[in-house]
Amino acid sequence: MRALADPTRRSIFERITDAGEISVADLTRESSVTQSAISQHLKTLRQAGLVAERPEGRKVFYRASPDGLEPLVDWMTHYGVFWRERFLNLHALLKDIDDA
Amino acid sequence: MHDTALKFATQEIVLEDVFPYPPETVWHALTSGALMARWLMPPAGFEPVVGNRFTFSTTPAGEWDGTIRCEVVEVVPHKRFAWRWCGGHEGNSGYGSLLDTLVTFTLTAVDGGTRLRLVHSGFVTPRNDFAYQNMSNGWVKVVGALGFLAGEEG
Repeated sequence: MRALADPTRRSIFERITDAGEISVADLTRESSVTQSAISQHLKTLRQAGLVAERPEGRKVFYRASPDGLEPLVDWMTHYGVFWRERFLNLHALLKDIDDA
Repeated sequence: MHDTALKFATQEIVLEDVFPYPPETVWHALTSGALMARWLMPPAGFEPVVGNRFTFSTTPAGEWDGTIRCEVVEVVPHKRFAWRWCGGHEGNSGYGSLLDTLVTFTLTAVDGGTRLRLVHSGFVTPRNDFAYQNMSNGWVKVVGALGFLAGEEG
């Protein structure tokens, strides 16, 4: 989650998630940061999979995207299956020891 | 990156089951390296002593060689056993991404055996309560998966 290590970028991300969906113009209007700086931060967030964009006419709207959170899901899915299998192994092992 | 600078939320995997043996027997299976090798994975350098560091070899990904680095953090005989579970590489996403988690086993004597509760905690995601609400599709998916994983048995 390096993309969120920068405080300015993090605050932009939080404003996007708070708003649901917001245009670059609105992000800039309520910010002390220039529009080009905001665009750079949005690019980083988009590359990290944390936000998605939707062009509408001359405006571009941004919304939070869960894709950037997949590392969490992947590890948890992996270990969720892993531990279930291991509990079954443990049942079998204890039975083996008991039978021996 | 400071913990205080980022708002973190962590997720955990919880599994619970009753094993039809006394806590002493289950405890032995958890804390003997030779038995651990038979139900979990073969540990390298393991001793059930607080501060002990040991490793497991798992499937590599990208620049990560697959080594899980562990450190025993709690040993309460027949009751509680916990170790850190770390691995991954910052260059990876998904499986193989940076991982700094905690595995905790809690044993409770119950009628007919031992209730064993596993909590694998510390899967980190940026915290923002509004984000949880607004990332609706993705989070429904996540929560759905967690509900499945956390399904209790026994």
